[in-house]
Amino acid sequence: MELCDLPAYELMRLLRQRKISATEILASCLARIETIDGRPGSLEPGEINEEDQQTVHAFITLTDDRARAQAMAVDKKLAAGEDPGRLAGVPFTVKDIFCVQGTRTTAASRILANFVAPYTATPVARMEAEGALMVGKVNLDEFTYGSSNESSAFQPCPRNPWNPQRVPGGSSGGSVASVAAGEAVLSLGTDTAGSIRQPAAFCGVVGLKPTYGRVSRYGLIAFGSSLDCPGPIARNVTDAAMMLQVIAGPDAHDSTAANVPVEDYLAQLEAGVKGLRIGLSPDYFKITYPDERGEYVQQAVPQEFEAAVRHAADLLAKMGAEIIEDVPMPNTRYGIPAYFVISRVEAASNLHRYDGVKYGYRTMEPVRDLNEMYRKTRAEGFGPQPKLRILMGMYVSAAQYSEQYYQRALRVRTLIRRDFDQAFDPNGKYRLHALLTPTTPTTAFPLGAVYGDSVLMQYADQLTVPANHAGVPGISVPGGIATDGLPIGIQFLAADYQEALLLRIARAYEQATEAESWRQLKPMVLQR
Amino acid sequence: MTEYEAVIGLETHIQLNTTTKIFCSCKADSWFDPPNSNICPVCSGLPGVLPVLNRAVVEKAVLLAAAMHAEIQTESCFDRKNYFYPDLPKGYQISQYDKPLARGGYLDLPLSDGSCRRVRIHKLHVEEDAGKTKNERGRRLIDFNRCGVPLVEMVTAPDLRSADEAAQYLIRLRQLLRWLGVSEADMEKAHLRCDANVSIRPKGADYLNPKTEIKNVNSIDAVRDAIAKEIERQIREVEAGRRIEAWTLEWDEDSGKLRKMRSKETEADYRYFREPDLLTLHIDDAWKNGILKNLPELPLERRQRFMEQYGLPEYDADLLTGERSLSEYFESAVKAYGGDPKRVSNWMMNDVMRMLNESSRTAAQLQLTPEHLAEILKLLDSGTINTSTAKGLLEKVDASGKAPATIVAEEGLAKVSDDSAIRRVCEEVLTENPKEVQSYKGGKVTLIGWFVGQVMRKMGGKADPSLARQILEELLR
Repeated sequence: MELCDLPAYELMRLLRQRKISATEILASCLARIETIDGRPGSLEPGEINEEDQQTVHAFITLTDDRARAQAMAVDKKLAAGEDPGRLAGVPFTVKDIFCVQGTRTTAASRILANFVAPYTATPVARMEAEGALMVGKVNLDEFTYGSSNESSAFQPCPRNPWNPQRVPGGSSGGSVASVAAGEAVLSLGTDTAGSIRQPAAFCGVVGLKPTYGRVSRYGLIAFGSSLDCPGPIARNVTDAAMMLQVIAGPDAHDSTAANVPVEDYLAQLEAGVKGLRIGLSPDYFKITYPDERGEYVQQAVPQEFEAAVRHAADLLAKMGAEIIEDVPMPNTRYGIPAYFVISRVEAASNLHRYDGVKYGYRTMEPVRDLNEMYRKTRAEGFGPQPKLRILMGMYVSAAQYSEQYYQRALRVRTLIRRDFDQAFDPNGKYRLHALLTPTTPTTAFPLGAVYGDSVLMQYADQLTVPANHAGVPGISVPGGIATDGLPIGIQFLAADYQEALLLRIARAYEQATEAESWRQLKPMVLQR
Repeated sequence: MTEYEAVIGLETHIQLNTTTKIFCSCKADSWFDPPNSNICPVCSGLPGVLPVLNRAVVEKAVLLAAAMHAEIQTESCFDRKNYFYPDLPKGYQISQYDKPLARGGYLDLPLSDGSCRRVRIHKLHVEEDAGKTKNERGRRLIDFNRCGVPLVEMVTAPDLRSADEAAQYLIRLRQLLRWLGVSEADMEKAHLRCDANVSIRPKGADYLNPKTEIKNVNSIDAVRDAIAKEIERQIREVEAGRRIEAWTLEWDEDSGKLRKMRSKETEADYRYFREPDLLTLHIDDAWKNGILKNLPELPLERRQRFMEQYGLPEYDADLLTGERSLSEYFESAVKAYGGDPKRVSNWMMNDVMRMLNESSRTAAQLQLTPEHLAEILKLLDSGTINTSTAKGLLEKVDASGKAPATIVAEEGLAKVSDDSAIRRVCEEVLTENPKEVQSYKGGKVTLIGWFVGQVMRKMGGKADPSLARQILEELLR
């Protein structure tokens, strides 16, 4: 076991006992990156060779110099007897959708490939201020638009450490891959429809989407501004709680960052689940999607996914939780269509600023006028995913279609929120503390299998997207290993600002499964 | 021949005079600053930034809304107006669309015939300004300083009936904005901008004809001239049997001509939707009342009160309420003086306002306080000084800030009404000028004025001239 494989809380304990130094922790992560990451993503990758297919490729930009300086600062503080901070010496990666001053901030897009941010995103600044070591900017789907990480303009794209022929999931693919492979201990991701939880499930790590507004979005390059949530990715629940503790809270730069006090996420972490009401919903054991003729069809999630969830429910029940069956969440099925409309309207508008005028890519071709400069810059700078989203976003927000699509989608969103309100209402029929569901309907898919069919890929988010519509928090934790050798994720959802409760339930489950055999399995890339 | 009337509506943009911009802490006013010197990641639209609403913008907009008799909404929302332009760095303008800060409202215009034109507005909303584009030697230069400067937009109903009325509206609006202290309202500096929608119809008709929109008018005179020209053009067209088309016209200040910018076949689709980066704006009663506590009596109300309370003629009341600090100056002076308000009004209109105009200051900036003015009037009334001394005192007090009585004492400016002192000087003058005495006694009685002048000169202007005349006449008898 190397330092880079230890939990953050353990590293910090050893660090404070002066048994190890921050510089040593960092060296361990950098060595791991050197061994298994392969070449970083690039706009001109050439051919993807045999070796590329066996390595992780989590990174776009390695910021090892920055991390070394931070590690030295932590060691100096420790030597001087000063408090080095609440995340001192913990190496982390940042999804390359966050601005970090002085670093290239690409959004995994050609159009921002040369953009160096002049300011730092609030959650990153908060982590750095607490002594965390920023190791690098990691890959993602272009502008976060995807569920496999294959749509990045920077190739080779990340691969799943459990099986490099599989995708890590997305859009926070580089984040989860880097954490799962021990290249970093924590990662800052974003979740707009499941972009933290789905890849966390695919790569067997913990991913937390906080309540909308719990973590500031300042410095996060926007996708769906009303849905985007920055959140922690870690290898265990305690580390996720520690990271959330640092990044959560109001921010003078973000008026949507709520002025709600931040609870102590560690204080109640080991308090168990006795007396808590945890619900199961039939609407989360199936996927509903339109077939080629546009008719809705239903498909049950694979049996081993339902089994993993029911196993978790049994364990929680044994620890004193009350399991509530058959909680209706009838609007879950509309989550994806409504998301298609709302997120694309916001995305199209958010992408307007990339016009070749101020920063980022501008066409090298000769242009006759301003409009041609816009057209060529955007045609050359954006990949297929942004283009699709712009087209659809422009269409459904046009004056003549807005009522039919956008306004209707907003009403659907209200209905989805109502499902959660009713399930969590302390005076209602169900009075749930949390809902327990599978995170995804499948394990990680093979590279190339779904990319190109973006509709189907989007339905992979059906179990995660409702939380984004409703704004409620959700956490995905490893829930077993499927017969294909890949991780299964289970998800807990709770009411607004109930992160402490979510973490506590997830921690109880984690503890109850510590001795299970699947917990001993390691990602393939670490077995060599 | 048909008689026509004009139907005019004005779309105004008002730059609020807040210290900082609407969504970031950059300095709002950049009139004297070089391009791109008051910008930050937020107002220049860098990736990842978010707007944070400046409360001072809301407070100034609420004051204006109240003064426009508009209904302030307890809930209003921000929306994105999407369009591409190089000086719009985000590719959308944050504005308000279907839930504006205030609805309804009007501004009354007193017209020269004594009647009053009520000009309605549909709504009042706040938004951010875009930057400025300048074309120079084939290159397009962009200045982002103005990005994020707070604006209020108010669009009037088609209630104005002539170019003069349109100009009057802008004059009254400018007066109101400065009165409230919410905008510098200088059209030349684009603090107050105006586009005019103009159509004509047979006098008395109640339908609306196709209108043209006039843009780029940078002064009140230009608005008046441009609208007058456009009304003439439309009448000519209609008389010649042609139709008015919905053009957008541009006013060329230098040539005094309107130029066609474009035809308006289709409305642009800005794909408005709620700005997800800002919360719904709640203006609860506590906040609203706190703001409206500072709402002053409005110009037209004060004008009316000056006529009723002080018995001023409309002309005086209008002039004295042209600017808020002037009207306050007047009232303070009247109070300190205690005498006839009309006398204060006369002195203000003749002398104080001349001093203001000559030095382009407002009444609040004078060193000569209303109390000083009242004191000077009292010195005059009591006969301590004469009128010319009083006029001179205004300048002296304003230059030095000293009390009038102090200056009178220091410089010995008091009128000499001591009979014996004047008598002595009168005797001197008569002794020194025997020829003139001879002429006077020979019947040239008009020389009395000359004798008085000599006495005044010897006494440095401080003698009471009527007393001097009386003594001289007595001595010459």
